[in-house]
Amino acid sequence: MIICENIRKSYRAGHGRREVLKGINLTVAKGERVALLGRNGAGKSTLIKQIGGVELPDSGRIVRGMSTSWPIGFNGGFQGSLTGYDNARFIARIYGRSYADMREFVEDFTELGGSLKMPVKTYSSGMRARLAFALSLAIEFDCYLIDEVILVGDQNFQRKCHAELFEKRADRAMIIASHDMHTIRDTCNRGVIIHDGVATVHSDVVEAIAVYESL
Amino acid sequence: MPSLRKGWNIQTRVIGALMIRELTTRFGRENIGFLWVMVEPLLFAVLVGLLWRAMKGPLEYGVDIIAFVVTGYIPLVFFRSSVSRAVSSFTANGSLMYHRQIKVLDLILVRFLIELIGHMMAYLVIALALGAFGLFPRPHDLGFLLLGWAYYGLFTFAITLVIAPLSEMSDVLEKVIPVTTYLMVPFSGAFYLVSALYPDAAAVVLYSPPVHGMEMMRYGVFGPSIDPRYDYLYPLQFSLPCITLGLLLCRLVRRRLVVE
Repeated sequence: MIICENIRKSYRAGHGRREVLKGINLTVAKGERVALLGRNGAGKSTLIKQIGGVELPDSGRIVRGMSTSWPIGFNGGFQGSLTGYDNARFIARIYGRSYADMREFVEDFTELGGSLKMPVKTYSSGMRARLAFALSLAIEFDCYLIDEVILVGDQNFQRKCHAELFEKRADRAMIIASHDMHTIRDTCNRGVIIHDGVATVHSDVVEAIAVYESL
Repeated sequence: MPSLRKGWNIQTRVIGALMIRELTTRFGRENIGFLWVMVEPLLFAVLVGLLWRAMKGPLEYGVDIIAFVVTGYIPLVFFRSSVSRAVSSFTANGSLMYHRQIKVLDLILVRFLIELIGHMMAYLVIALALGAFGLFPRPHDLGFLLLGWAYYGLFTFAITLVIAPLSEMSDVLEKVIPVTTYLMVPFSGAFYLVSALYPDAAAVVLYSPPVHGMEMMRYGVFGPSIDPRYDYLYPLQFSLPCITLGLLLCRLVRRRLVVE
């Protein structure tokens, strides 16, 4: 169970501050798949960062009753100047996993071959998405935080993601920020709309999409 | 206490992984790799030592001049590079904040440890190399040499712990800090013995905590002939409150840290 209680977060904007999240309340139970919907800049990524513990909220409380992945996106979670293999080795070390298994999984999932020996900063966004997914799927979490990356990449990658994430790990919770209504309708069981810094929870994802599209 | 052991295991795992990561990003794997960390202090200390030897002859305060310079210079370079590595270490490592088991304190500790180990290795290598030519004495008391390093290291760590968060809070400080480390040159005890200073000056420099560590190290190497001046308590009275302040500042800055 993940519980967010009255999360507020502001950032410096010129001389003042701009409040992005103005008291978010959200509960995610085990196995639930929650879609975060909202316009660009509404605060979806900000909320995901607070839940993942990357940044700390100004006020409010986050209770994490299950293991939560880091936010899976194009950056963060890996170091651009290191190679794909070095990043995998680092992640394996800090999460206490065997590097041999990690390496095998990453090679198999990403299909990046020799590119894994190149620094991550030379990767395209599709390649980054592959690596980011592979690294976090190699460590098992109860809840995955996914920030926009799901749609990047080719057909083959999307199929793989689908199989690994929604079929093999169907029992896991997920919080997904995305603009792809098709994926959201197929995979999520709840929708949360973030608008004007507050969250509205809809237990029916189709209804949530309809509300979001009328914003 | 299984949870304490579990915490310790995570902590050592994280520190180990971060050290390897820092060493590979800074020095790479080609040629001598992480041994580069020693090269700068080594070259610096030896060249300055040779210069003093050429200017002043073979002895300073009754001990070998090159050994005297090296024992002073390496800890000073250690302090300076530790401080400059601490500046902006949070923003430079922002992407690591994605992993909750990594704390900002780990980032500071890792950078500090790399400098400490690198400079102590340089110290050892120079001592052995000079010793082979009879230019460096067999240490009078190895325990005191290490105790001196411990005091000097604790002071340096306390300072980096305050500098790292301060450099994130203000851009001006970030620019000013590397320059101000030169202020440490007279207050590090590197180029003199306290016992050889005018009494007024000696009283002043003893307010500087690293001078005590330096005197202990020199006593450990050269023995009682240098007439060391140090206090066990005073450096701690400075360093421990400084560490407390640093921890508070780190906590404050972590709350405000914006990660891309």
